[in-house]
Amino acid sequence: MSRGVPSSTRPKADKAAFGIAIFLAALAALIFWDASRLTAVANYSRIGPATIPIVIATCLLGLAVWTAIAARAGDFPARERQQIAPAAWVVGGLVLQMLCLKTLGFSIATGLLFAMTAAAFGKRKLYITIPLGIVLCLAIWLLFAGLLQLSLPAGPLEHLLRR
Amino acid sequence: MSTFEFLLQGLLVAMQPMNLVYALIGVTLGTAVGVLPGIGPALTVALLLPVTYRLDPGGSLIMFAGIYYGGMYGGSTTSILLNTPGESSSIVTALEGNKMARAGRGGPALATAAIGSFVAGLIATIGLAFIAPAIVKLALVFGPREYFALMVLAFVTVSSAFGDSTLRGLTSLFLGFALAIIGIDQLTGQTRMSFGVPDLLDGVEVTTLAVAMFAIGETLYIAAQGDQGPEKVEAVRGSVWMTAQDWARSWKPWLRGTVIGFPIGAMPAGGAEIGTFLSYATEKRLTKHPEEFGHGAIEGVAGPEAANNASAAGTLVPLLTLGLPTTATAAIMLAGFQQYGLQPGPLLFATNPQLVWGLIASLLIANFMLLVLNLPLVGLWVKLLTIPRPWLYAGILTFATLGTIGANPSVFELGMLLAFGLMGYLMRVFGYPIAPVVVGLILGPLAEQQLRRALAISQGDPSVLFTSPIAAVLLTIAALALIVPAVLRARGKGQVLSQLAASED
Amino acid sequence: MKHFLMTTVLSAVLAFPAFAADYTIVAPANPGGGWDQTARSMQTVMQQAGISGNVQVQNVPGAGGTIGLAQFASQGNGNPNTLLVGGYVMVGAILTNHSPVTLRDVEPIARLTGEYEAIVVPASSPIQNMADLVAALKKDPGSVSWGGGSAGGTDHIMAGLIAKAAGVDPKAINYIAFSGGGEALAAILGAQVTAGISGYGEFESQIKSGTLRLLAVSSAERLPGVDAPTLKEAGLDIAVQNWRMVAAAPGLSAEQKAAVSADIEKLVKSPQWAEVLKTKGWQDTYLAGDAFKAQLDKDIAATETVLKDIGLVQ
Repeated sequence: MSRGVPSSTRPKADKAAFGIAIFLAALAALIFWDASRLTAVANYSRIGPATIPIVIATCLLGLAVWTAIAARAGDFPARERQQIAPAAWVVGGLVLQMLCLKTLGFSIATGLLFAMTAAAFGKRKLYITIPLGIVLCLAIWLLFAGLLQLSLPAGPLEHLLRR
Repeated sequence: MSTFEFLLQGLLVAMQPMNLVYALIGVTLGTAVGVLPGIGPALTVALLLPVTYRLDPGGSLIMFAGIYYGGMYGGSTTSILLNTPGESSSIVTALEGNKMARAGRGGPALATAAIGSFVAGLIATIGLAFIAPAIVKLALVFGPREYFALMVLAFVTVSSAFGDSTLRGLTSLFLGFALAIIGIDQLTGQTRMSFGVPDLLDGVEVTTLAVAMFAIGETLYIAAQGDQGPEKVEAVRGSVWMTAQDWARSWKPWLRGTVIGFPIGAMPAGGAEIGTFLSYATEKRLTKHPEEFGHGAIEGVAGPEAANNASAAGTLVPLLTLGLPTTATAAIMLAGFQQYGLQPGPLLFATNPQLVWGLIASLLIANFMLLVLNLPLVGLWVKLLTIPRPWLYAGILTFATLGTIGANPSVFELGMLLAFGLMGYLMRVFGYPIAPVVVGLILGPLAEQQLRRALAISQGDPSVLFTSPIAAVLLTIAALALIVPAVLRARGKGQVLSQLAASED
Repeated sequence: MKHFLMTTVLSAVLAFPAFAADYTIVAPANPGGGWDQTARSMQTVMQQAGISGNVQVQNVPGAGGTIGLAQFASQGNGNPNTLLVGGYVMVGAILTNHSPVTLRDVEPIARLTGEYEAIVVPASSPIQNMADLVAALKKDPGSVSWGGGSAGGTDHIMAGLIAKAAGVDPKAINYIAFSGGGEALAAILGAQVTAGISGYGEFESQIKSGTLRLLAVSSAERLPGVDAPTLKEAGLDIAVQNWRMVAAAPGLSAEQKAAVSADIEKLVKSPQWAEVLKTKGWQDTYLAGDAFKAQLDKDIAATETVLKDIGLVQ
């Protein structure tokens, strides 16, 4: 899917919606390709592992065509103008958490996510929000990993507390 | 002793002050952990079960019952307030519940969920005590073909969550189906749509998808509105409690939800979420306020929440009468029961009446405690909405990822969370409904597997799908649900129904 | 009793700043399953019996344990403080999933517990014994539907072995895979399938109450207290045990391996472990060292053959 042309007016042909149609068609093609390499195991049901995926892919193709027609007619609802920057903060926070989780542990990684999300909504003072997030997440870690034995990845901070 | 005497004796034990305290602790713990998005009742019970081992059998049984009901209930709070379903069975609750919360009616939404859960839990637990053997006979009649018919019916009802466009509703549903293909095909062990990535072999976790689509997608969407975004939500508009009209509109959905949820919970391949779908569709068809559906109709919260809790009690029917663990939660409970020297099975009611009735009495007490705990908290929960947005959404993402990491601490899982979160965001931007994706992921594999099982057993003869009486009835209901509104609309009758049926694109 | 909970919670709070992990046990499954229960029981017993002060359980679920196995082999390499719980199901999963990491990439220490498979029919079934079932299978393999756990799992392997031993093409078996033990059991009780295969424990209470008829068990010798012939007695030369084991990380020195083995032996010999086996109804099938490794190689080879016979592995 493409990010879409922000538009508050209704264009005659909706380019972004065409993008959706292409995405659906591509997804259908991927399923067809994947289903083609499945081998039919001796089976009494006559419906093998590939049958249902092929049905689903066919329907997705149909939906792709339908979407394209609707896009040409400009049938999609008007979209709000999207601001990329705040959303990028949130995505950045999630990516950072993913990258740091195994090495820096739950508290630091999730604390960073906390601060970046707050930043997305206007709290940009990272020197306050990052420590705040880390302390909060450390408390959560103590509660869930310590008391409830949930396996949350430990990093330097958590190891410090364990000793 | 008779059934009643056993139950009475169990209640007397459960109502000792110390046991009431244990029930309260259990319910609190269960709710607290169950409230986390991504941590469903199964994980909640698994995590908290060891806590109960330290008590005497009576106390631990009652605390365990509290944890179970608390965990089942916990998900609805975040669904309603934050549009972040804690588990698959509270997805439907988010549809109407969150709209109500946005309109300042979070209080009544939470209250109808809590009271509905209580009513359903009460009726279903009593049902468990008295009609379990009959229900379980019905459940065993359900073979693959009957389940397939039930899935077809569920598919038809899903259309009630499509929103205003058939095209976009169907596209969402089929995206869910496409995601459902991913992983090992259960019947042949072959891998589908996994592209050699081992992490994909188990497919897409429903909770991961739900948390990503709802919590992360929503956060991204709100963030991207920037300053133009919706104003701070007004926590309470009107009364924080249910009005007389709310009561009048809630009690029937509670009862209907119970009637739908209990037997479906008792079915070995049912699952709580199917009951909630059916209940939502039923309420949408029966309501006198169809225009409110999609904008915060109280029936859409009352019915599914009741169905959800009734099916929690329903799950115990095959577990206690047959020793059949039909859900992940039940499997963990089975392990828990063994700690109390309780070996669930057909002989349980005969050999271990004290413990069984003790458990049933504990469930009743726990159910009551849930109400005691949650009703006074409604006012406090609603205050959550007044938390300034930066902290509120930072908190939502912290807890949403905590749930995912806790269930499976893998970077890949977090990557999926992000990818589906972006997908949920884009779908919101383009006006696609979110719930059908999750519904497709849940129902798709069930329908496929049951169809293939049914055909394998009949050695490829498709006529078996229609020849069983139960399957025939279910398929007929499904066909009627599709045809009747269309016919009525064609005749120009019933403006209500034309609003119900999705508009043509 | 009154303050029991308060004290336990309090002591847990006070205790955890000191929980240095002497052992981390990886359970390659979701919380609640058999492997997870094994890991958590080991955790409790190791702490109670004073084998290790602090034990952590880490869940790495997915794909029949192969994801946990792969992660354990790569991350645990050379670390004598990590253990992996696994079992026979892993053997099949490694083959069907084409897992790049196999049990040869870790250091199997010992088999801990095991369960035998049972073959049952609903009480209403005309099939009275194993001979009837084999006769029906020979007559028309498709008409005998087998209900059991996931495709390629122990139950499916059993069905393949029975067909093969009976002289029927294992590819021709009509095996219906169900997602969990409960769902399969419901289908068997409802007589939706001809016969059922699963661990004996899954069926035990149904057999005792007479709703299921036990045809045979997969043990080499008759099981005490179980009134059914072994498959061998029924003329099918099969003995299968669905075992659970513990493995150490690869790349350990001989001393480290010996230390881990000694700890596991202490665990198995402890009275607390005996108690766990009793309450959980697990059979003690402890087998350690080279004897276990030899048995493991035999199991792997046999499983590969039967999965090829069934057509699940090319």
